Amino acid sequence: MTFDWSVVWQHRDALAAGTLTTILLTVATMAIAVPCGIVVAILRLYAWRPIAALTTAYVELFRNLPLILVVYWAFYVLPIMTGLGLSPLVTGLAALALNVTAYNAETFRAGINSIRRGQLDAAMALGMSRTQALRRVVLPQALRRILPVLASTWVSLFKDTSLVSVIAVTELAYVAMQIRAQTFRVLEMLTALAAIYWLLGYPQAKLVDWMQRRFAVTE
Amino acid sequence: MNSAMSPRAKSTRSRIIRYQGVIKRYGDFQALSGVDLDVHAGEVVCLIGPSGSGKSTLLRCTNGLESIDGGSIEFEGAHLSRDERTLRAMRQRMGMVFQSFELFPHLTAVENVAEGPRTVLGKSRAEAAERASAMLAKVGLADKAPNHPAALSGGQQQRVAIARALAMEPDVMLFDEPTSALDPETIGEVLNVMKALADEGMTMVVVTHEMTFARRVGDWVAVFDVGRIVEQGPPQQIFEAPTTERTRDFLSHLGWNG
Repeated sequence: MTFDWSVVWQHRDALAAGTLTTILLTVATMAIAVPCGIVVAILRLYAWRPIAALTTAYVELFRNLPLILVVYWAFYVLPIMTGLGLSPLVTGLAALALNVTAYNAETFRAGINSIRRGQLDAAMALGMSRTQALRRVVLPQALRRILPVLASTWVSLFKDTSLVSVIAVTELAYVAMQIRAQTFRVLEMLTALAAIYWLLGYPQAKLVDWMQRRFAVTE
Repeated sequence: MNSAMSPRAKSTRSRIIRYQGVIKRYGDFQALSGVDLDVHAGEVVCLIGPSGSGKSTLLRCTNGLESIDGGSIEFEGAHLSRDERTLRAMRQRMGMVFQSFELFPHLTAVENVAEGPRTVLGKSRAEAAERASAMLAKVGLADKAPNHPAALSGGQQQRVAIARALAMEPDVMLFDEPTSALDPETIGEVLNVMKALADEGMTMVVVTHEMTFARRVGDWVAVFDVGRIVEQGPPQQIFEAPTTERTRDFLSHLGWNG
């Protein structure tokens, strides 16, 4: 069996563009799913009961569906629901954000619950409102505590963005598969794909480790 | 110190807190079964008694961290409100110090103390920091301003917690077993700060197992047992001539010989 690695170099522009889309998808998904996750977690913990129940239903639904199913679902259902002809990129982003927001909400909820009652008491005793206590005392501590979990969600997400290739989002995996189909250089393209994901994913994981040490709070 | 002629020397001053028939239940458990107690301006009132007798519960009801199920609590002439906003305004005038300090671990000492003035009173960053530095100096910890709580000893953390409460310029300080979680060698530094506060005329309600403190610094001592006050009076009475068997019993279990 002979290999022809030049195929990777020949398609470097397409691969670079795909990589950029993958990174963009990851960043955009997290940019949506972190604040939304916090809001969902707070609603689930403190909101008026029917609202809390609604958010619980959302979290339990999307946390327990395979992501690829959500991607397909978004592709077929979102246009009907919104009446808009959404691009594959926006559709993929919506599916990822729905999924990751549900995960993040659970992470934040666990983080908030892990802060002991006395901290809230101390904040309230100073005369803070519940909202102030949450914003100034509970959330900052919860965020630091769950940073490692958010980080591993980030690294998973970076790889999971490849699932939106099924609806023709031109991210890294989709681009690589297209090149494979055109050139029949299967092993070369798969290896290149793996190398790119790993080379990008590993430093992210390391960066996250560093952040964890940098922002750690000891009691 | 109290004079023997006047059993409650400061009772002619204005009454700051009045508890009347206070009842608190947790499910089937009755934590407080009708507590009556007055706290006057400038007084140090010590609440003593065995664990689980309701002392801390009464303190937590005082600033509304726990709601009461019967009776009433008046603070500066007004009934303790159930309305969050009014309750918050009352809490600002009551400083609270916890057994487990409850400093905010993500903030430095000076940030901890500045947090109340900044967030609750809406002071500018500079003004809040200035007040916080002054309060840290007052408890003898000016040099620890940039340290996080984790870098401080238990006694130092509790003094920062006292400074944090004082930064709100409260009318009353509530102490919930402030030295119970401390190593013996750091208890003294916290009690000294509390004594200095009392000497300045701060009104204080102190739940404590430190009988020496209650005796030397207290103006009035209330002995709790199973959710009631079984005896209250000036420290001389409680520690030298207790009138109830229950008080004698409690003190003898502590090895207190009068």
